[in-house]
Amino acid sequence: MADRIDIRISGAGGQGVILSGIILAEASAIYDETNAVQTQAYGPEARGGASKSEVIISQKRVNYPKVIDLDVLVALNQESYDKYIGDLENGGTLIVDDSIKVSKEKKVKVYRLSLIAKAKEELGTKKVANILALGALAAVTDLISLTALEQVIPNRVPAGTEEINLKALKLGGKIVN
Amino acid sequence: MSEKVLMKGNEAIAEAAIRANCKHFFGYPITPQNELPAYMARKLPKIDGGVFLQAESEVAAINMVYGAAGAGARVMTSSSSPGISLKAEGISYIAGAELPAVIVNIVRGGPGLGGIQPAQSDYFQATKGMAHGDFKLVVLAPSSVQEAVDLTMEAFDIADRYRNPVMVIGDGIIGQMMEPVEFKDIGADDLPEKDWITDGAKGREKNVINSLHLQPEDLEEHNWKLDRKYKEIKKNEVKYETENMEDAEIAIVAYGTTARIAKTAIKEARAEGIKVGLIRPITLFPFPEEVINQAADQVDSFLTVEMSTGQMVEDVRLAVNGKKPVEFYGRTGGMIPSPAEIVEQLKEVRG
Repeated sequence: MADRIDIRISGAGGQGVILSGIILAEASAIYDETNAVQTQAYGPEARGGASKSEVIISQKRVNYPKVIDLDVLVALNQESYDKYIGDLENGGTLIVDDSIKVSKEKKVKVYRLSLIAKAKEELGTKKVANILALGALAAVTDLISLTALEQVIPNRVPAGTEEINLKALKLGGKIVN
Repeated sequence: MSEKVLMKGNEAIAEAAIRANCKHFFGYPITPQNELPAYMARKLPKIDGGVFLQAESEVAAINMVYGAAGAGARVMTSSSSPGISLKAEGISYIAGAELPAVIVNIVRGGPGLGGIQPAQSDYFQATKGMAHGDFKLVVLAPSSVQEAVDLTMEAFDIADRYRNPVMVIGDGIIGQMMEPVEFKDIGADDLPEKDWITDGAKGREKNVINSLHLQPEDLEEHNWKLDRKYKEIKKNEVKYETENMEDAEIAIVAYGTTARIAKTAIKEARAEGIKVGLIRPITLFPFPEEVINQAADQVDSFLTVEMSTGQMVEDVRLAVNGKKPVEFYGRTGGMIPSPAEIVEQLKEVRG
């Protein structure tokens, strides 16, 4: 792994991007035993169409806690994609919902996946699209292990939704292939 | 025995206080520290003897702290910049009455209502001009969530040891970010007995807790007594960290969040051949003036970086005492300096 991997998960308020950032950071720091830092916007900046949660993962100490060079961008809606795609480094990884129009200009690895539609179709709710995205992230990168995510999810999602979120995690991995 | 958990700075400070046996919290909400009282509100009522109270105002909250401290309780309040200004009068009374209490300031941009984003513009307030009278707070400035935990626990011991209010000063980033932390049992076991508290005076002479001394001779004596205490604190409690100073030609002086950013900048600058190190004050009062003064015999110049228009830089200049130039770089109002900006400044300083 490089010195530090900078990840941003973004989407509309209510799509659970903050929660998925916390789950990712906790899974990495506690179960994969890395140094991980999670930050998010607070105040009015945090509301509206482009909410974001940033996670820095490193084997070393993380000093600067915010994104410097964005390695991985997850976008769950068009507005957040449009706002943050410019920050993604060449060679970086982009995971987006397939409802999003993606420009071909950037030299990045693009995973345009049916996160929202599949969540609705197979699990009956698009609310778990954020967890599908984590499943996809675990499948297409070596940044986080599926077992680490599986251990964190039941403790971090609302009570009563543990099962469906674990299913969503698996489904996220499946739709990549 | 401890294990790592991922926690937000504000919540971790609250948990650290509870682990340090703080059972009393009085506060009033303000961004960006609300997760701290919210955590206390969830946890303290479940603890035997625990009290969480959201007061009607900051002024009321700090006077509740005054009362609880006088009765011998380990007590905390937390706020952010404008709220701390409202608490200033009470903090002066607590210092005057020589009571232990821990006050957390998760600083936001000012002056006035200012903004809600991270800042370090309350340095003067915390270390110099908190309120009226000849007094000092011990001021602890963590730069990670783990350090916020460790310093919060230690803050209660320092407060009890010197019978003086202690401030833990963070900013919106320290308060809001999540990092892995563990809670170590680091409490002191040699603290003086609290034989001065007002708890009913059954079978003993009554104790009086007061900050009023109408006889100037008495007040002068009291002030010199406080002064001796602060000198003792300066002797015993200075904390700082240095990094990459061995061969440094430039020393960055920065605390809290800014010191973290400086560490990233130092790595980048060193890759470009700039020999730069960091002196990070962990205690803002007492200020680590000796290590800075000694560094002035080694380095060519200093760069102080703050999220303010320049406050701590005055203490750096006093410590350097004219030996070497002290430059300043600041962002303010909630803006955060980037590592690249600091590297640019280092290039200018190097000339």
